Amino acid sequence: MLSLRLAWRNLWRHRRRTWLTVSAMIFCNALLVAMNSMQFGSYRMMIDGTLSLLTGHVQVQHKHYNDEPRMRYVVPHGAALATQLRGVLPDSAVAARAVAFGLASSEQRSFGVQFFGVEPAQEPGVSTLPGLVKAGRYLQDSNAAEAVLGSVLARNLKVTVGDELTLLGSGLDSSFAAGVVSVVGILESGMTDLDRNLAQLPLGYFQATFAMNDAVHQVVIKVPELSAVAPVKSQVEALIHNPDLTVLDWDQLQPGLRQSIQVDLASSLLIYSILVVLVAFSVLNTQLMSVLERTREFGVMMALGLRPGRLGQLVLLETGIMSFLGFLFGAALGIVITLYFQHTGIYIPGMEEAMSRYNLPGRLYPELSILSALAGPAAVFVGGMLAAIYPALRLFRLQPVAAMRAV
Amino acid sequence: MRSLGTQFTIATTLAWRNLWRNHRRTLVMLAAIVVGVWAMILFGALMRGMLDEMVRGGLNSLPGEVQIHNPQYRDDPSIENSMAPPAGELLASLDRAPITAWTARIKVPGMLASERDNRGLMLLGVDPAGEVALGFDPKDIVEGRFLESASDRGIVIGRRMAERLETELGKRVVVMSQDLNNEVADRGVRVVGIFRARLQADEESRAWLGRDAMQELLGAGDAVSEIAVTGNDYKAVDDWWQGLAESAGPELETLPWQQLQPFLDSMFRAQGSVNAVLTVIIFLALSFGLVNTLVMAVFERVREIGLMMALGMKPASVMYQVLLESLYLLALGLIIGNVLAVATLWPMRNGIDISVVGEGLEMAGMGSTLYPVLAWQDMLGSTLIVLILGLLASLLPAWRASRLDPVQALTRN
Amino acid sequence: MAAVRCRALSKCFVQGEQVITGLDDVSLDIAEGEFVGLCGPSGSGKTTLLNALGGLDTPDSGEIEIGDLRVDLLGKGALAEMRLHRIGFVFQAYNLIPVLSARENIEFVMQVQGVPAQERKARSLAILEEVGLADHEDRLPAQLSGGQQQRVAVARAIVSQPTLVLADEPTANLDSHSADQLMDLFGVLNRERGITFVIATHDARVMAYCRRLVRLLDGKIVSDERQPGQGQTAA
Repeated sequence: MLSLRLAWRNLWRHRRRTWLTVSAMIFCNALLVAMNSMQFGSYRMMIDGTLSLLTGHVQVQHKHYNDEPRMRYVVPHGAALATQLRGVLPDSAVAARAVAFGLASSEQRSFGVQFFGVEPAQEPGVSTLPGLVKAGRYLQDSNAAEAVLGSVLARNLKVTVGDELTLLGSGLDSSFAAGVVSVVGILESGMTDLDRNLAQLPLGYFQATFAMNDAVHQVVIKVPELSAVAPVKSQVEALIHNPDLTVLDWDQLQPGLRQSIQVDLASSLLIYSILVVLVAFSVLNTQLMSVLERTREFGVMMALGLRPGRLGQLVLLETGIMSFLGFLFGAALGIVITLYFQHTGIYIPGMEEAMSRYNLPGRLYPELSILSALAGPAAVFVGGMLAAIYPALRLFRLQPVAAMRAV
Repeated sequence: MRSLGTQFTIATTLAWRNLWRNHRRTLVMLAAIVVGVWAMILFGALMRGMLDEMVRGGLNSLPGEVQIHNPQYRDDPSIENSMAPPAGELLASLDRAPITAWTARIKVPGMLASERDNRGLMLLGVDPAGEVALGFDPKDIVEGRFLESASDRGIVIGRRMAERLETELGKRVVVMSQDLNNEVADRGVRVVGIFRARLQADEESRAWLGRDAMQELLGAGDAVSEIAVTGNDYKAVDDWWQGLAESAGPELETLPWQQLQPFLDSMFRAQGSVNAVLTVIIFLALSFGLVNTLVMAVFERVREIGLMMALGMKPASVMYQVLLESLYLLALGLIIGNVLAVATLWPMRNGIDISVVGEGLEMAGMGSTLYPVLAWQDMLGSTLIVLILGLLASLLPAWRASRLDPVQALTRN
Repeated sequence: MAAVRCRALSKCFVQGEQVITGLDDVSLDIAEGEFVGLCGPSGSGKTTLLNALGGLDTPDSGEIEIGDLRVDLLGKGALAEMRLHRIGFVFQAYNLIPVLSARENIEFVMQVQGVPAQERKARSLAILEEVGLADHEDRLPAQLSGGQQQRVAVARAIVSQPTLVLADEPTANLDSHSADQLMDLFGVLNRERGITFVIATHDARVMAYCRRLVRLLDGKIVSDERQPGQGQTAA
């Protein structure tokens, strides 16, 4: 097509200028692809890291429990419900949990802690904690009088594997609840807050001690992929007929998680839009110059009978080609960089502390997706095209006679 | 000397006029630099504000910039690992500038029980005057009152804790903790105040009691868990904490906030490099346009430059001329950008409400109001980076201009 | 029918503080197939008249008809349309698109007119042949001599089969040999295709070519005379 050829050749009349403008786009596009992929990677790691500890992706709870975690807001027949859910959700892991606050006392020390009653056989499916046993073993028998403790808690209680621990608290019926368990394992997650508070008991023993009968507080579901959360949630909702119960997804369980992702996304979006604006200025400058220096030529073309709209199209076409080149090379470069870091991981010195807050390892693995690879370059493309509107519009103000007289 | 001066003036005038020969191009580039600089300063201030907020928040709940403990206390914060109240040399040091305030407190894990529920938390036995001096704001008491003295026998609990325990102002709760003999000591106390905290988690994780009452409950005599010290400037703490550590002696562990809260410290350290990276990225996006503008300016003036060289202008002067033009452009953009950034930040000086995303910020340890902090170091740093890198980027077009052959340049149409 | 008919054209320019009279009550009729030269010193209004005829510039007052079109009443779009289909322009110089080859320059106008690619190619090759540049089709303007460039410009002007060609100092940048060649080409096109030519010039050789010579001075027609005109010898 002749217009396309004309636009193409016009671009290369000033190779240096065109390349500089395209380079600006390539730079920004590559940067955007790499940064976006890195962010998406870190978000996924943040979500996985946070949820895999205890929360899981979906939970069945009493409808008030999430807002007011009180002992009396229970899920009745919890283990049975968990078994039923396991039947209908073959790809997901399901485990029931009960929670109570109480006093844990060793011979020397006492601390107020949060006791979890867990199904020893099912818990490893929904939580990474059972895999973090540093000494001893994880719980085995659902009715045994055993406990695993966080490492800091154990140290503070001055107990080790084999020692005995007294539990004090109040049961579901407000009765006095007490029991003696032996410590069978010590967990170390690396997160001090968690290791300071964690105490897990077998669910059967927990229910007996705290007069829970067969009730629990949470039925935790871990799905294989984040994308499965919504369908699993509605599937579970359809199964549950008890109006007192509710099904919550991770976003409802950990609203801070999504929000901190949004905060990060919003602030980086600001930076990205500035980059796009800067590239747009580059394009504006180039195309404005290119239009101004061709005033005479455009005047001749208008004298030949071309309408300004047609000339405007030519300018937009030139910009389109430039933007397309920037898109192509920039996205490609960005993808190559991202793939490299996806392979090796990015080590960010000094950030381990921040990362461990979200239970993240010290290395960041970017996640390349269609969105992360194309969103930034697409924005740059659109920005470039928008920037060409002004130079193109200038052509409408061109008077052929005056234009041809211009040097 | 005189001719040099004249030449200098002509060069500066020439560069300035050349800049405005193509005013559209110059204005577009100027706008790009202004936006870039404005964004650099603005983001820098917002990020510094966030960081400052995080550090302040962190130090407020610590509290203090330096704390002194029994060396075993941080690992095992029981009353057993307590220390004697400050005396002698340490006391003298604490009362000396630049320390503005200090307080000695009991801080032990314990439990709080109402008739409905119970929760574990940190029990703080404090001297209320000292806590206020260390940064506790009595305005955060939303119901009732703060403790009146170290011998106050009431308890001040968090709003959220009151909800959890289903208790309220005026009711009694049972405080349980381990005493010096490893026995569980308990005592019923009346809720005299309810506090709010910037971070909801803080409303659940601690409660305030009178120090005397706590010492009595735990049988601890006059022992305390920690001494919290402030000089009212967290950035200056390195100047004095070591001196204090010497006064405290080797039997006690004296640590500044950077070591007490390594997370805050690493964020703090990361901030500087994040700012620099941001500045460089924005500059690089700008630099393509800058080089482009200068290249265009040089190439449309080839004849003219040839003429000047034919008239005897040295290549170095030609280069100087182009660099000067770039310098004007950069300086103008930097001035306007900086002024614009300050003007943008001015209306935000009383904080920006960002409570929409409150819980996410809480996860990052921040409150829901953001106070941008404009640091002159950031402004100066960005300005210098842009100026230096900008001139470096201009070297290429300037050098090319100086390499022109006058005869060839003149015959070009 | 008259190819060009204008009545009482006036046009003033403001230059600094001075008001310059471009056209002052000019009336002119040109029949189809005429070969007219507009001459006069610079500033006499030749180019202004030519631009007004071509709809590139609007007169302050007066009427212009090109064929059956009232040029002074047309909007911008219609003017562009008219130039595209009815009028061919040849300028002093630099009027080719520098990045397009000779053939592409000619095809460009046809593409805007919406002529299919096959036909475009055939017609542009034929017309290049006609102007004597058959083997120069792929040269860029910079690779052609001034005379060759002007001939490409002529080819471009007539490829859309206009009835009127307006030429503004077409020989100003040409040596005498090239100028003769160009005028011969104009003559051939005038005779064989019946295209009306209006040529603004102060080149004596060009004037000698024209069958009718209109002299302008200070925006007024001072003489309008017929002469043998070599370009019309065969007629």
